[in-house]
Amino acid sequence: MATKSLQNGSAEVPIEISTLPPVVGINFGNSYASIAVFTKEGLAECIANEDGERQIACAIAFHGEEMYIGNQAKQQLVKNAPNSIVGFRNLLGKKFSEIPQTENTTSARVIQHPELPDTAAYKVQVLQPSPAPLSNTTSAYTTPAASHAPTPRSEPILVDRILTVSEVVTIFLKSLVKSAEDFLGKQIKGAVISVPSTFTEEQKDALEKAAQDAGVTVLQLLDEAGAAAATTTTPTWSGDSLRPDRTQLLVDFGSSAVSLSLLSVREGLTYILAASNTSAIGANQIDDKLIKFFAADFTKKMKVPLTVCPATSPADQRAEAKLRLAIEHTKRTISASPGAATCSVESLKDGMDFTGSINRMRFDMLGSPIYASVAAEITALLASAAIDPHDVDEVVYIGGTGCLPGLDNRLCTEVGLREDVETPFARGTIVGGGLGDPTTILARGCATQAALIDSIQEEELRAAFGRGHEAREVKATTKTIGVLFPNSLEENKEVGGTWIPVVQKETALPVRRIVSFDVEVTEGSKRIAFEVWEVKEGIRVEKVVQSSLPSSDDEDDEEPEETEIKHRTLAKEVLLGAIDTQAQLAIQTKGKGKDVGKWFTRVEVQFIVSLEGALDVELREVGPDGVVERFHVSAL
Amino acid sequence: MAAVQHLTVSTPPVPTSYKTPSVPSTSRISAPHPSGHRSLLPVGPAYVNHLRLSLHHAHSFSALDKHLEAERERLAAIHGESNAAEDDLGVGSEEEPEELLNLDPKEWKKQDHYAVLGLSHLRYKATPEQIKIANRKKVLKHHPDKKASSTPSSTTNSLYLTGVNQNTNDDAFFKCIAKAHEVLTNPEKRRQFDSVDPVFMELEEDIPNATEIKNKNLDFFKTFVPVFELYSRFSKKQPVPGLGHIDSTKEEVEGFYDFWYNFDSWRSFEWMDKEVNEGSDSRDDKRYTEKKNKSERARRKKEDIAKLRGLVDLALSLDPRIKRIKQQEKEAREAKKRAGAPGAPVKKTKQQEEEEKKKAEEEAKAKEEAEKAARAEAKKAKAAAANAAKKARRQQREQEEAAAA
Repeated sequence: MATKSLQNGSAEVPIEISTLPPVVGINFGNSYASIAVFTKEGLAECIANEDGERQIACAIAFHGEEMYIGNQAKQQLVKNAPNSIVGFRNLLGKKFSEIPQTENTTSARVIQHPELPDTAAYKVQVLQPSPAPLSNTTSAYTTPAASHAPTPRSEPILVDRILTVSEVVTIFLKSLVKSAEDFLGKQIKGAVISVPSTFTEEQKDALEKAAQDAGVTVLQLLDEAGAAAATTTTPTWSGDSLRPDRTQLLVDFGSSAVSLSLLSVREGLTYILAASNTSAIGANQIDDKLIKFFAADFTKKMKVPLTVCPATSPADQRAEAKLRLAIEHTKRTISASPGAATCSVESLKDGMDFTGSINRMRFDMLGSPIYASVAAEITALLASAAIDPHDVDEVVYIGGTGCLPGLDNRLCTEVGLREDVETPFARGTIVGGGLGDPTTILARGCATQAALIDSIQEEELRAAFGRGHEAREVKATTKTIGVLFPNSLEENKEVGGTWIPVVQKETALPVRRIVSFDVEVTEGSKRIAFEVWEVKEGIRVEKVVQSSLPSSDDEDDEEPEETEIKHRTLAKEVLLGAIDTQAQLAIQTKGKGKDVGKWFTRVEVQFIVSLEGALDVELREVGPDGVVERFHVSAL
Repeated sequence: MAAVQHLTVSTPPVPTSYKTPSVPSTSRISAPHPSGHRSLLPVGPAYVNHLRLSLHHAHSFSALDKHLEAERERLAAIHGESNAAEDDLGVGSEEEPEELLNLDPKEWKKQDHYAVLGLSHLRYKATPEQIKIANRKKVLKHHPDKKASSTPSSTTNSLYLTGVNQNTNDDAFFKCIAKAHEVLTNPEKRRQFDSVDPVFMELEEDIPNATEIKNKNLDFFKTFVPVFELYSRFSKKQPVPGLGHIDSTKEEVEGFYDFWYNFDSWRSFEWMDKEVNEGSDSRDDKRYTEKKNKSERARRKKEDIAKLRGLVDLALSLDPRIKRIKQQEKEAREAKKRAGAPGAPVKKTKQQEEEEKKKAEEEAKAKEEAEKAARAEAKKAKAAAANAAKKARRQQREQEEAAAA
């Protein structure tokens, strides 16, 4: 409520100011795309297209005079495969000669454009409406007509239509923007589109051009890691439980590739510590396994032979396409509910219907080898960045496959992440389109980013969001700096006091950090003293031999199990300064509790590390007339 | 100011034996990663601030702080303007005392509906729009859907209540709000409630009686202005003439008393009816109650009219202006009696009055004398004229006779 209330009737007629910025975030994947807009509540939200799909399949199909886009087009893969185009994003901006001519795809094949040199294109058959007959009323030479009925149009003609990849992308983007415009009810001013980290500059140029042809201004082409970070650095994401300084592992499990990024998030400022991308693993492999499983099930139940992946006969190919569509639903069910998921296909082969089910355990077994290879990827990535799995604070999943709970469990145990690592599963934000929903993270991030760029007035700042701007290159700290309050508590024996890290390692410079906390002082002296140290953080591995269970008598020769328990360690390296002063505003705790009768004061410690590496430390007691102490450590 | 990260840690006191170590002046923090080693992801507000810091403010945090503060104020100004469109028509937000929140919705007849909706500063003056706004405000605040989530289950620490749903009474106040809204939006019900508005009923009881006023020697205007204001809201005719002030003219004062003696009130006492026992089928029972209610209403109305009448009588009897007017009228009458001249000057000292009287008497005498003289003269003249006329007539007759002869 407005605090100042007004006289009756003095208010002006409310002016309708729409707070929705007319921008859209587009996550443009190879198999699925999603769109998000900024809602009234100030949150980015993934929206559905006209078909009610939030996950819009990247597919375009032509059938007769009709053109289908999205999930409808995917259905066409069964009956009308040669006229359906899928998987076009990755080909964008590539020359025809660069595209590997391999797989026996059922969908429309990539061909060399008949006119343009070295350009990839698709050939589809469409019915072209024949030109309307000339109306004879305008003709100067009117002849007496036999009847007044207009001349009927002739039948549409079957023609070949050649579409370049860029044109296909344009058509698709246009339909996405149209959906967003329908949702917002006004024209879209700009869009942020996600691109995979593997995209080359030419591909980005091509995407920008395709978007321009679709009538969208591209505000920014955002790396998928960036789009994810745009979501995960919002206050709504971090809530109360997540620390503002954390190391975040992004697992983007796409249908054809897995890309991993290790991010250093420091109060919203994010950069990539290490990244890897492999197209050897993908959710398609899980699909294949699942299809094989159901095909085997079908053969067993119906006694109809069905060989899929790869399928040879046209009947088998069609059955595979049907199954591929049906298992989308199965995967979603198994992600959402703990029970078994069914898969039903009518007339799968030879007119036989199929209904099968799979439970979570069986599913995890099927996926197990793929999960294991993802885990190996992650381990390799962490090793290359010289970061212990124990140091990862948060895992974020991207892509529909990330919804599978088996994956999360498997990765956490196999990579050796900390027990209390934050995952969307641990936080329970994954189900029901929650905050951590892996399928919408990228689109929401793009929308958040689009709204942010839209709100920036300065041209100079806007330019810095472009590709490869030099302002992105930063210096960063290498070691953690913090304050040490000396005491002789048993738990703090290692460093001889209470350690409070202030500026974490891998923080972009220049940086300012302010932390506040309570300090206990003695009634007599009211002394506050602390040291500022630069420390080296490490991991100590403690091997604990578990006593083997007495029941396993028959396997005596088995070695006793060893479990590794990891501890974080600190080693003081450089003493940077010390402050010793008297508190002015200490208050004695009243009431009940363990702290009654003790004297406390609240202090704020501010660290500023300049670009050159100079450090300014300031101690400030919270409240009026509190004690203020500061010192300066100059740069190297 | 940058965001302060608050930590829940609290450090124990420094041991008394602790000595501050001497810091080597050569100590520096380790060399940062060189520029270009790390490349920021261009996302989020933090990146914008980083850009501002490096592009606009030469890496000075204080300059950035100033800029952000200015920006915030600018936005607040814009936002404030757009906020002004939200006119709550002066409803405001009132604090809800504990006893208000603990009202029993079953006892809705006894509750103060204006207080429930947070309109106790407006009461009968509240417009339907204001009631609508106030109701919306209260509903937003007290809707049970909101309460269920906001009341933590661990607030009550009594052991025997664990596992019992303690939210059962949560919507009690919401029901009170709904009832208050129902009453105040129905003009008939609102009229009935306004008639016996508990706050004003209390005030009515505080009206002093004649003996009190006399004994305590209360100021007439201070005593009666609120009394008549209290009653004026019941008038069917609006606006109601005010009591006025000490120098009000006779017309004003008379108009005032005239209005109050012919006071046309819409006040009624249906609100105080006893509930007809809906459960009983006995028609006689119902009719009996209804009849009783009706007579009770009539009795109350009569009492109210009598009370008001008494108040007006009391006011009239104590009104200093009435005394003054009476005095003036008396003087005027006397003066008229004495001088026959109405409209004698109103206020004079005795001496002046006497002088004036004398003067008037003298004048009257002189006038009388003059008149007498004038009358005598007129008589003479008349007589002369009559004689002359006689003479003339005689002469005429003589001439006519002469002519005839």
